[in-house]
Amino acid sequence: MKRNPLTIGIGILLIIIFALWLCVFQVRQSEVAVVTTFGKVTRSITEPGAYLKAPWPIQSDHHLDQRVQNFEESKFTEGLTKDGFNLLTSVYVGWRITDPKAFFPKYAVSATPMVEAERGLERLLGNAKTAVIGRHPLGAFISAADGGNQFVEIEKQILEAIKTELKANNYGLDIDFLGFKRLGLPESVTQNVFERMTSERQLLINRSQFEGEAEALKIRSEADRKAAEQLSAAEAKAREIRGKGEAEAAKSLSVFQQNPELANFIFRLEALESSLKDRSTLVFDQSTPPFDLFRGASTNLLRK
Amino acid sequence: MNDHQHPDANARGHTPETPVDPGAHALSEALRSSFVIVKVVMVVLLVVFLGSGFFKVGPDERAIILRLGKPVGAGESALLGPGLHWSWPYPIDEYRKVSISGIQKVFSSVGWFATTPEQELAGTEPMPGPTLNPAIDGYVLTADGNIIHTRATLTYRIADPITFVFSFVNASNAVQNALDNALLYAAARRTVDDILTRDVIVFNELVRRRTMELVAAQNLGIVVEQCTVQSAPPRQLRDAFASVLKAEIARSKALNEARSHENQVISKAGADAQSRLNLAESERVRLVSDLRSRAEVFLALLPTYDENPNLFVQRRLTASLGRVMTNVQDKIFLTEGDNGRTKELRLLLNRELPKARTTEESR
Repeated sequence: MKRNPLTIGIGILLIIIFALWLCVFQVRQSEVAVVTTFGKVTRSITEPGAYLKAPWPIQSDHHLDQRVQNFEESKFTEGLTKDGFNLLTSVYVGWRITDPKAFFPKYAVSATPMVEAERGLERLLGNAKTAVIGRHPLGAFISAADGGNQFVEIEKQILEAIKTELKANNYGLDIDFLGFKRLGLPESVTQNVFERMTSERQLLINRSQFEGEAEALKIRSEADRKAAEQLSAAEAKAREIRGKGEAEAAKSLSVFQQNPELANFIFRLEALESSLKDRSTLVFDQSTPPFDLFRGASTNLLRK
Repeated sequence: MNDHQHPDANARGHTPETPVDPGAHALSEALRSSFVIVKVVMVVLLVVFLGSGFFKVGPDERAIILRLGKPVGAGESALLGPGLHWSWPYPIDEYRKVSISGIQKVFSSVGWFATTPEQELAGTEPMPGPTLNPAIDGYVLTADGNIIHTRATLTYRIADPITFVFSFVNASNAVQNALDNALLYAAARRTVDDILTRDVIVFNELVRRRTMELVAAQNLGIVVEQCTVQSAPPRQLRDAFASVLKAEIARSKALNEARSHENQVISKAGADAQSRLNLAESERVRLVSDLRSRAEVFLALLPTYDENPNLFVQRRLTASLGRVMTNVQDKIFLTEGDNGRTKELRLLLNRELPKARTTEESR
């Protein structure tokens, strides 16, 4: 058989590919890798790219997810505040592997290293929370913004506590952020809270009622007072006007002084006429003029 | 390949004779053709291999190519737009797709009591127990130590897809956690009345602002668009809370009634006062003019009287009496009796019931 250069070429290519497959590995953007030599960690790689290693079983590469992991506590932990309130809390963290060399031997032995790491984290979180919660009164968690609310500071304190713990014991991971996911009270306490809330509501209802009634009464009585004032002022003015009228009229009365008896006589006649105007019954006899004519009353005329 | 020699070329003598039989010949033929087939297959495989590098990017997706693990390009230029693209196939290149446009929506997962989707649609709620089990029913604590339910819906856009996909395992969960935390944070700073009735919009804004702060601090690579918040008092206390509202409404109603009474009374008093003044004024005028006219009449009569007082008096008296007689409705004339004295008239007065007096007084 004559060797064909093409055959040789392809054969060499295949050998190269095989060698590459054995000795080159990739680290992706979102990964870190650890190279172990005979099982012991010798190299950690955090930058993405392609790298060389000796083939298995001399060296092998292990990949770890380098991204920020989202971990939430699955259940509440109870913590006692400084003033003796039982607070149920659960937090969420964003953690990631920062030191693969330290992380790998601790956790990679299990089939699910991330889950193992999170279990360890959960324990640490519980301790840190209890410690930090015990340093603050309940009012530090829930109060008005300007009334000493330390919600964010408490979260920071828990984060600091965990970070120092992780660093001190060389866990190989770090926490980027931490926050409360749930804040609650033990179930029995909620009933007390409900009772308190109900009586608070009742207080508000009463206050509404009383204040409303008082104010309405005030408005009404004020209005009545003003009205009465106005009326009496008008009455006084009216009296004044009438008085003025009488004073003015009295000027005319002086005219009657010229013959007061005549004036009196004329007034009495007018009174008589106006009082007997309608629907009156008069009983009279012959002595009433002009009917005295019936009696044949003598007149001055006949005598003359 | 194979050199083929005829057995009777022995006469040349320079090469040893290769025993050739039809079997070996056929075998080498087969081998040759199979090598050809292998060559063809290899070429085809190569083409298929290279061709597998094609991939399509949809309209709301972007893609990043990782060459040997590292992203090709940096920042915005690393993102490949919609269309057909080619990259070296694995293991040289690898591509990841990111959905970017389109609004993402996330719901808060704490703070609301447990319902089912059917109940949500129907608008009903499950029956509450006397207490709240924090593991089942969510709730938040307010600044004045009250318990309320609240939930939020957040819409956001992925602004930095590379960070969103490559820096976080589950960035949308991180967004939800930030939203939950913002709800807790905001509720812990406001009182129950502020959250439920008085400053609802402020509370909403506070949740949104806190979520944005957290998202920026954690570098999630998103932009918050909208945040809506819904809050409710615990179901167990719904009546108590509703009663407060009712009391408020009753109070404003009472105040309104008082004010309208005020308006009514004052305007009526004004009208009354005015009419009294008008009456007094008209009386004054009448009095003055009445007396003035009488005075004028008197002055006119005075000379007539002075001429003959007796005649004047008699005349006026008789005239008056005549008018009176004409106007009077019933006239009863008593004649003289035989003995020269006036007849006696006796009236039987029926003491009528007092109510009859009103008709008489109307005269």
